[in-house]
Amino acid sequence: MNLSQFNNILRQVFLLPVVALLVVAGALYVQIRNANLTVNLIQDADARISQAALVSKLIADEESGLRGYETTGDPQFLEPFSEAEAHIQEEIKNLGDLARDDQDQKHDITDLREEHETWRDGFAIPVIGQVRGGGKANDVALNLHGKVLMDDVRHDLDDLIHKAEDNKARRIARWHRQVHTMLLALLFLALGMGVLIGLFTRNRLHSVSAAYQATLEILGRRAEELFQSEQQLRTTLDSIGDGVITCDAKGRVQMMNPIARELTGWSLAEARGELLEKVFPIVNETTRETVETPVAKVKRLNRIVGMANHTVLIRKDGTELKIADSGAPIRDKRGETTGIVLVFRDITMERKTQDALIANEKLAVAGRLAATIAHEIHNPLDSVSNLLYLMRNGASSEESNQFMDMAEQELTRVTQISRAMLGLYRESKAPVVVELKEMLQEILLLLERRLSDLGVTVQTDMLKPVSVAAFPAELRQVFNNLITNAAEAAGPGGEVKISIVPQAAGLDGAGQRTQKGAKITIADNGPGVPEDVRPHLFQPFFTTKGEHGTGLGLWVSRGIINKHGGTIALESDTSQASHGTVVSVFLETNPIINAGGG
Amino acid sequence: MKAASNLVLCVDDELVGLRIRKILLERAGYRVLTAPDGPSGLAIFSAEPVEAVILDYSMPGMHGGEVAVRMRLAKPQVPILLLSAYMGLSSEVTSLVDMYMTKGEGAPVLLEKLNSLLRPVSTS
Repeated sequence: MNLSQFNNILRQVFLLPVVALLVVAGALYVQIRNANLTVNLIQDADARISQAALVSKLIADEESGLRGYETTGDPQFLEPFSEAEAHIQEEIKNLGDLARDDQDQKHDITDLREEHETWRDGFAIPVIGQVRGGGKANDVALNLHGKVLMDDVRHDLDDLIHKAEDNKARRIARWHRQVHTMLLALLFLALGMGVLIGLFTRNRLHSVSAAYQATLEILGRRAEELFQSEQQLRTTLDSIGDGVITCDAKGRVQMMNPIARELTGWSLAEARGELLEKVFPIVNETTRETVETPVAKVKRLNRIVGMANHTVLIRKDGTELKIADSGAPIRDKRGETTGIVLVFRDITMERKTQDALIANEKLAVAGRLAATIAHEIHNPLDSVSNLLYLMRNGASSEESNQFMDMAEQELTRVTQISRAMLGLYRESKAPVVVELKEMLQEILLLLERRLSDLGVTVQTDMLKPVSVAAFPAELRQVFNNLITNAAEAAGPGGEVKISIVPQAAGLDGAGQRTQKGAKITIADNGPGVPEDVRPHLFQPFFTTKGEHGTGLGLWVSRGIINKHGGTIALESDTSQASHGTVVSVFLETNPIINAGGG
Repeated sequence: MKAASNLVLCVDDELVGLRIRKILLERAGYRVLTAPDGPSGLAIFSAEPVEAVILDYSMPGMHGGEVAVRMRLAKPQVPILLLSAYMGLSSEVTSLVDMYMTKGEGAPVLLEKLNSLLRPVSTS
């Protein structure tokens, strides 16, 4: 039921009693009018009766006046007669008027008038004339005649009065009946209307209450659904492995899930309503500068912001956690930001895993090199031990000198190799100046056997020595990696070209400022890297070498180069005519090295 | 007792080591032919009446294992001693040859093994 239906019912419930009362009032009005008419008729009858009484009195006055005059002859006695005579016609006429359209009465009244006139003209006037003439008028016959005439008059009058009273009695009875009927009608109407209004209102109210019940049920169901959905969300949030904090549009904390509470060290009760910056203070791992919270960033950019690297969360008790975080705006139907969700997680373990992977890759490189180096050392050692055997078993002094020269040459080679090997694993705490040409030559020396095994020739284009500040062991790992990759890609008969070009400070093609440094390119003429593979090359555990690769080489290499503030890029061509891959590494002469890199 | 003048072929890409090995074997009474890589070694092997082969494993182009397979196909009766600077070559490779040793084990071991290959049953 909607509001207009409800209003409709209200209107009906209001209008029905009004209409019913109007009907009752109408009926009452008709009844009362009828009763009034009857009362009027009764009054009419009363008036006629009293008028008839008046006429009767006047006639009596006439008669008694005439009788007094007749007896005494004194004109004084005739006064009442004259008096009555002066009015009687008028009063009879009035009586006639009162009778209105009652023909019977009119007829009676006409009779009365005629008989009165007959009495007056045929008896009273002659008697008066006789007395005035000095005669006597006590003649019995005359008087009897007069009496008869007067009796007629009286009879008529009585008749009139009697009829009028009858009439009145009838009318009163009618009036009684009418009142009775009216009362009954009123009673039934009132009862009927009452029942009607009652039934109607009950029916209407029933539909209202049914609608109300239905609404209540819907509301109840909605509330239940809302509760369920909220419960679901709450359970989801509670069981999620990441910390989740929701804030209102102003960046005040509204909700924190258990992980968020655990990571920040704040309870929900303490944190609710506080600014996020207070509950979730984050700084850069290296610079210790305050980092803009994702919430502030979301407010500023009004979009989802991603994970930031090298962020440290300062917990309530002052301890620190390495975290990664992201934020997303909560929008209402109109698309306005009503709140912000912050998701973050502890990446301490992740970082440890990453570090372990990097260490692992270092070991893998070492393992691969160890085999090469064992080979490199065994060959000269074999020669030297054979030479010693020859000398011990009787060689001429000339021969011995020759053998010793050869042994020395072989030992020099072993020394070179072991030195290069040490260089690869000598850890230094701070960056030192590294001469790139020398470093690459050392690496090539270590890889010489491997390269010749692969049947790959190496061309170098390293005219001038170029120095950069770096961690040498790490750079050796990178170039060892890149050259091995290039040689493996080139395959038997292939060629690897290595060049170092010093770069002056300036602007690059895109107008970006570049620092002074060196560009090292390692190019092979292998089949090239297919386009669909290229995006994955720098991802950890991605390898094209099956079981022979760890899939960490390029990932670690990029980490090291980024740590050195440099860049590494790979271009590849798979076309028939000019296939091959070029990896270029740019290193700054005096870079700002990220301690936390990796 | 000087050994009879057996003809031995040495194949190795390490030229210094090859040269010294040739002197060593000649002093031990062998006649020695040398080759710096697999293909030339195979050429000599099929052309000359070689009685034993001392073969390096790790060589550019064609490694010792492959050379051994081809030699076996040509003259299966000629014993092959595989010599390698790598430790622990796979059995797949070592099963191809009669004997296997790592470089650096020393001249006496080499001479002894070569001798046992040439005189398998009774004499030594």
